[in-house]
Amino acid sequence: MADYNKPIPDPDPYTTGPFWEGAKAGKLVLPRCTDCNRTHFYPRNICPFCYSMNIEWYEASGEGWIQTFAVQHRAMGGWADETPFVTAFIDLKEGDRMFTVLRGVDGNKPEDIKCGTPVKVEFEKVNDDVSIPFWRVV
Amino acid sequence: MPTNPSMAAAIVGAAESNKIGYIEEGATNMTLFIEAIKNVCDQVGIKPSDIEGIAAPGYANALAEYLHIRPKWIDTTSVGGCSFQMQVHHAMAAINAGILDIAVVAHGESGYSARKNNGKGRGPRPAADPWAPAAMFEGPYGLSGPPSNYSHAFTRHMHRYGSSQEDFAQIAVTTRDWATLNPRAVMHSKETHPAGGPITVEDVMNSRIISWPLKLLDCCLVTDHGGAVIVASAERARSFKTKPVWIAGAAEAISHTSMIEMDDYTRTSAWQSAETAYTMAGMGPGEMELAMIYDSFTLTAGITAEMLRLTPLGEGPSLWADGKAGPGGSGIPVNTNGGGLSFSHSGMYGMMLLIEAYRQLSGTAEDGVHGLPGKQTSAKTAIVNGTGGVLSVTGTLVLVADD
Repeated sequence: MADYNKPIPDPDPYTTGPFWEGAKAGKLVLPRCTDCNRTHFYPRNICPFCYSMNIEWYEASGEGWIQTFAVQHRAMGGWADETPFVTAFIDLKEGDRMFTVLRGVDGNKPEDIKCGTPVKVEFEKVNDDVSIPFWRVV
Repeated sequence: MPTNPSMAAAIVGAAESNKIGYIEEGATNMTLFIEAIKNVCDQVGIKPSDIEGIAAPGYANALAEYLHIRPKWIDTTSVGGCSFQMQVHHAMAAINAGILDIAVVAHGESGYSARKNNGKGRGPRPAADPWAPAAMFEGPYGLSGPPSNYSHAFTRHMHRYGSSQEDFAQIAVTTRDWATLNPRAVMHSKETHPAGGPITVEDVMNSRIISWPLKLLDCCLVTDHGGAVIVASAERARSFKTKPVWIAGAAEAISHTSMIEMDDYTRTSAWQSAETAYTMAGMGPGEMELAMIYDSFTLTAGITAEMLRLTPLGEGPSLWADGKAGPGGSGIPVNTNGGGLSFSHSGMYGMMLLIEAYRQLSGTAEDGVHGLPGKQTSAKTAIVNGTGGVLSVTGTLVLVADD
């Protein structure tokens, strides 16, 4: 943890605080509209589907699927040491989408990675204040 | 009563900065902007002080001050490479509303020289906001610029439609064929660049992986470039030294800012902006004789061809198959300047699309710039689409030759 050398998010406490608090506890906590019941991501102070401003936070399943992916052969900072690594957009079981560096896959074999593959979330503690979610092929 | 702005305005001139590409002695955004504006004013036969409206991404105010002009219409829209298509749209609407008669839409971008200038001379770059959604939710994961984003759309297209990397590679090959006919193109020949001249699908496939499935030759150049076009009212359009090219249709659309919010990675908002532009023009894709399609990457051009209804969905690369879109090909010519892939691409390529479309439809492609002619086609109509951001924003124009 002390030597985490890649970008660390600086969370906005106004609209995303519970997400990061959940991450610290190893939980995927998502925002949901109490009027239309839809989950959205990234977190907002308004539901982007029905424009209600009644948002609640809940612990999600931490399950999802690969929507699409790419293999990064060029990167900056600490990520440069990890090329080729796989990035992916993840469709969440509860709806909407997150971005990640995918774990449990080989960037040298992109043909073995398939859109639609199930993934599960995990969290890496990068300092005392922040844990970052990553998704792993199960 | 609102009126249809179709044909209310024309592009009456289009010019570039004195030098483009990898400018050895260097450049700044401002030197490129000013050269292009000076050149287009000379071409059309006006002075900068005759300009009533000024549009330039992030620079309209700075340019007005620099040139001591006092415009009554200012548009500094900056949403990436399609900003210029959108600014032509805005200028046409403002002209149709009677606000002004003559506007300049300008571009200056030292994409190449900014490296030797240590990032200086490239204009105000907004500081990244750590609380921006993309900074928090994409920033931790190692993306490094446009290719690292666009590659995800390429993968999804192959998954959804069974397309291949080779299908998209053909776009780079055909686009290079056009560049070999344009002496101004960076990749024209071995004389202009060590890696210039014709390429093959194998060359593309064997080039270095940048962000799989994008290889180096799937990616555009990063050059210096300045360009400017003059947009004038129908009443004034025939009063200049140059020929008008009419704006028959224009539209813009947005689907997202960061790719986490892109609903469908195989579709862009060009689907919407093309439909609106065709409707305004009263024309359809079958009537287009030239296509100028933003090719930041082969992927961008391929899926945009689908959005412009030039091919069925999922079959975008077929527009280029067997060199159909190339010189002497059996299909409509596409990206006759050699594209962002092989002509020049400074970061926001949309101006170069406009300039080439103007040259083709005004019959001046062979007049050349600084003695270097381009390749003239017989096209009288063109669809011109710009894409900005990370497949985020689009601007589409339908242009028609005079008479």
